[in-house]
Amino acid sequence: MHGRVKVRTTEEERERKKKEQVLKMRAYRAAMTRIQKKRSAGELDDELLGLTVQILQRNPDISTLWNIRRECVLRKTGELQSALKELEATEAPEATVAAGKLEEVEKEDKVEKEEKDDTGEADSKAVTGVAALAQQLQAIYTTELDLTEHCLMVNPKSYNSWHHRCWTLEQNPQADWQRELQLCNKYLKYDERNFHTWDYRRYVSAKAAVPAEQELDFCTEKIKVNFSNYSSWHHRSLLLPTLYPNEQHDRPMSEHKLQEELEMVLTAAFTDPNDSSAWFYQRWLLGSGAQERDQPVAVAAFRCWPHKAQLALKKPYPELPQLQIQLISEQQTWQLQPWQPTNGEKTQWQCDQAIYIDPSQDYVLALAGQRLKLSVQPSDKSLYYFVPPHATASCSKELLGELQTQLQSCLDLLEYEPDSKWTLLTSALLMRAIDVTGYHEQSLAHLAKLEQVDALRRGYYKDLALRWTMEMALAKWPQTSNYPQLFEMPTKISSTRTPYVQYLIVADTVSS
Amino acid sequence: MSDDLPEEFDLIVLGTGFAESCIAAAASRIGKTVLHIDSHDYYGDVWNSFSLEAFNKLLDQPSSSLRNGSYTWHEPAEEAPSWTRETLLEKSRRFSLDLSPRVAYSAGALVQLLIKSNICRYAEFRALDHVCMLYNNELVSVPCSRSDVFNTKTLTMVEKRLLMKFLTACNDYGEDKCNEDALAFRGRTFLEYLKAQRVTDKIATCVMQAIAMCDASSSFETGMQRTQRFLASLGRYGNTPFLFPMYGCGELPQCFCRLCAVFGGIYCLKRSVDDISWTPDAKELLLSSAGKTLRAKHIVCAPGQLPATLAPHYGQLQPHISRGLFIAASPLGNEELNKGGGGVNLLRLLADEGQREACLIQLSHYSGACPAGLYILHLTTPAFSEDPAADLADFTAQLFETNAPQILYSAYFTITAPTNANESAATPIYCTAAPAYELDYDAAIADARHIFSQIYENDDFLPRAPDPEEIVVDGEDPSALNEHSLPEDLRAQLHDLQQAAQQMDIAE
Repeated sequence: MHGRVKVRTTEEERERKKKEQVLKMRAYRAAMTRIQKKRSAGELDDELLGLTVQILQRNPDISTLWNIRRECVLRKTGELQSALKELEATEAPEATVAAGKLEEVEKEDKVEKEEKDDTGEADSKAVTGVAALAQQLQAIYTTELDLTEHCLMVNPKSYNSWHHRCWTLEQNPQADWQRELQLCNKYLKYDERNFHTWDYRRYVSAKAAVPAEQELDFCTEKIKVNFSNYSSWHHRSLLLPTLYPNEQHDRPMSEHKLQEELEMVLTAAFTDPNDSSAWFYQRWLLGSGAQERDQPVAVAAFRCWPHKAQLALKKPYPELPQLQIQLISEQQTWQLQPWQPTNGEKTQWQCDQAIYIDPSQDYVLALAGQRLKLSVQPSDKSLYYFVPPHATASCSKELLGELQTQLQSCLDLLEYEPDSKWTLLTSALLMRAIDVTGYHEQSLAHLAKLEQVDALRRGYYKDLALRWTMEMALAKWPQTSNYPQLFEMPTKISSTRTPYVQYLIVADTVSS
Repeated sequence: MSDDLPEEFDLIVLGTGFAESCIAAAASRIGKTVLHIDSHDYYGDVWNSFSLEAFNKLLDQPSSSLRNGSYTWHEPAEEAPSWTRETLLEKSRRFSLDLSPRVAYSAGALVQLLIKSNICRYAEFRALDHVCMLYNNELVSVPCSRSDVFNTKTLTMVEKRLLMKFLTACNDYGEDKCNEDALAFRGRTFLEYLKAQRVTDKIATCVMQAIAMCDASSSFETGMQRTQRFLASLGRYGNTPFLFPMYGCGELPQCFCRLCAVFGGIYCLKRSVDDISWTPDAKELLLSSAGKTLRAKHIVCAPGQLPATLAPHYGQLQPHISRGLFIAASPLGNEELNKGGGGVNLLRLLADEGQREACLIQLSHYSGACPAGLYILHLTTPAFSEDPAADLADFTAQLFETNAPQILYSAYFTITAPTNANESAATPIYCTAAPAYELDYDAAIADARHIFSQIYENDDFLPRAPDPEEIVVDGEDPSALNEHSLPEDLRAQLHDLQQAAQQMDIAE
């Protein structure tokens, strides 16, 4: 028709696409066959590298091809490096004459190189010398980096491409880490949630020795752009404890910084309470930090009779029998062994060893660098050690104030949105951070409410309520008159799945 | 006049303003022969952007569509002594001064039309930096996006929650959940609904002034619809829901003209029309121009370009829009609103207790419309007198009372519209509307669409234009592999492969 542009019909377009597909497939197969042949023949040359590029550009996730590339690169760099050594060996006598002369040689090389660039006629083989070889070597690495960068454009979440990039940089002693940092910035601008890039960033910033403050600033910027970003919050959680260490080791970071972080994260949570990332970060902030990670063997309770010893751990530690565990009195030291686990989780252990106990003496349990002072049980004169789980962390006035403000904000929010699950949970956690005992009933009430509004996680809230109840009972126990002979199990707790049951080895009787 | 212009067209369009260009492009796109004429020597008519010199010339010579023009040079400010009348005029061509400045909703009618028709490839936009409001006489940024709400220091934590909750509710409105509200607030005002949500005064101001852009009397439905329009445009291109065309709004009519020309439309600028007559059945119109008679099945005309003989049919030209244009050496508002050399910002102003409103667009050099270090302030309000400066006085007072920017140049003018604009039954000519007072191009597009559908009842309005590689050249096998559409390395392989494949064993 006159005046109208003819455009392909969908049918024609489909047929064309199909032809293109066939061509792509044939190209792929041809290249793959050729690659395998060359590799079997040991021809690890530039042609082989070129062939892999064609395929990897379109599909960066063929590990085989990256492996073959690495073989090629190693062969090429190996040859260059040995050539370099040879050259240096021949030039060495000069170098010993005058150290300064080496610099001159290098300068000459540079001049030579510039000349070459200027004229552009000189054959690269004609240019010899250290600098030229080193340049060739760098060119190989640059090619690899450029390829991975191209592949990452195709798929920014390609494990293979990121890995190959790391490998290439590791090969090159003169790797430009600042450039890599820029690359991370670029990629995180495209997608601030790509965890591959965040991971790579940590690797690069460690290599480039980027100051942690700078990383933290970067991290803050990214959170400002989009706070729904687990990677970024995680990155923070790694930086803050080292930047602002906590003196008492019972908080993730210094109290002053913690206050700021709490405010920031609650703002995020209030902006969008349905976004879980901020709430998770907040839970980490309100937690006890790295405390328990520092001590792999944390003793919950210990008891020792003349014929046996029992040890309860906060967390399972299957390697306990390998540890040196000593019972030390003023006069004598016993090596306690061998240890046998008495429960499936390996938190309770027993050692059948005869020990002479003199109640008038002081005893200490020593293991893994810790020295725990033991007390004497009045009823049977056995020795025991007991520390309730999660003793309240220290809290400065300022931090306490911040926590209370936050709690108030949460409670305000609950007025508007009484069923907001994250707010319910967080306010319960805040209460416990402020005053475990005082808010005990109220925090349990929040959990009961959560069981209704978030029924899918009912089991989780039940379990949490059980733990908190038990923690409370254990914390109060040392103040009771029956301590340590009798432990009264709080009501509503069935004995079959009692949390913290290992703590009760100290008691003679557990009443329910 | 001896030109080889054809004498017969399906459609002749007079005026290259926005709506006319849309219609010309749409007709050309469906294969109609189109002649597009403008009496001026530039494209765009009252929708064009001008250099500073050309703009002054325009103000000096009143025309049918623009009058009451005046401009003043101000003493250079002490802080910016380098900007004088001379230095500004030296950079005259670095300015794109709009007669009808607009911003576009990122998901609004204009953007949708540009995408749908594939005209977007001719256009370039800058996302607006801030949507502002005046709160207690202070210019503040309205938090638009989720990250804005998160970062803003002007709202308390609970306010943030309330604002987000309100916006989410508006966004979900219509999806069942809020139907109770729809019933409860039918026939009531949006302000009442807002108050029922227990939001604070500050949030109510945010929503009324900048997001819903309502006044106290706006109905619940209108407010909700406008809020939804705002929200739907968020998160598409930038931090705000608005876009501004790079190098000024005058670029947009030209994008449509370009499409028209690509599909065979013929352009004649600086060509005025003496008279238009028509056959008794109005099936053919005769247009006499420069001593030549052109025949057309239909004629579309901008109000300002009607030949003198026909203009009276459309009534008197009345003041329609009052405009103020200021060039300043410093931006409006604080540093926060003008990070990195000045923002492209939007502000809606109210006067007379919300009875009257004006729209302010601040352009920095990022919009491509002025040199770096200078700012253009466009002020627009519906006209109610022949004195644009007086019409705008209430608004300029609000703006320049405190923290006034250093103004170097100010200009005022009136854009006119005929009293009974479109739909004059007296002539078979389709007359487009003068630029309306609106933020986006909704009314202009609706006008163009309406006229197009009157002329070409059953045809699609601006269907997608094909990309060059989709077009089949005469005699080509349409299903053949096109070498140019292949990736570079495959293109090379296409040649090699034929021979190579024969020599090689291909693993099956």
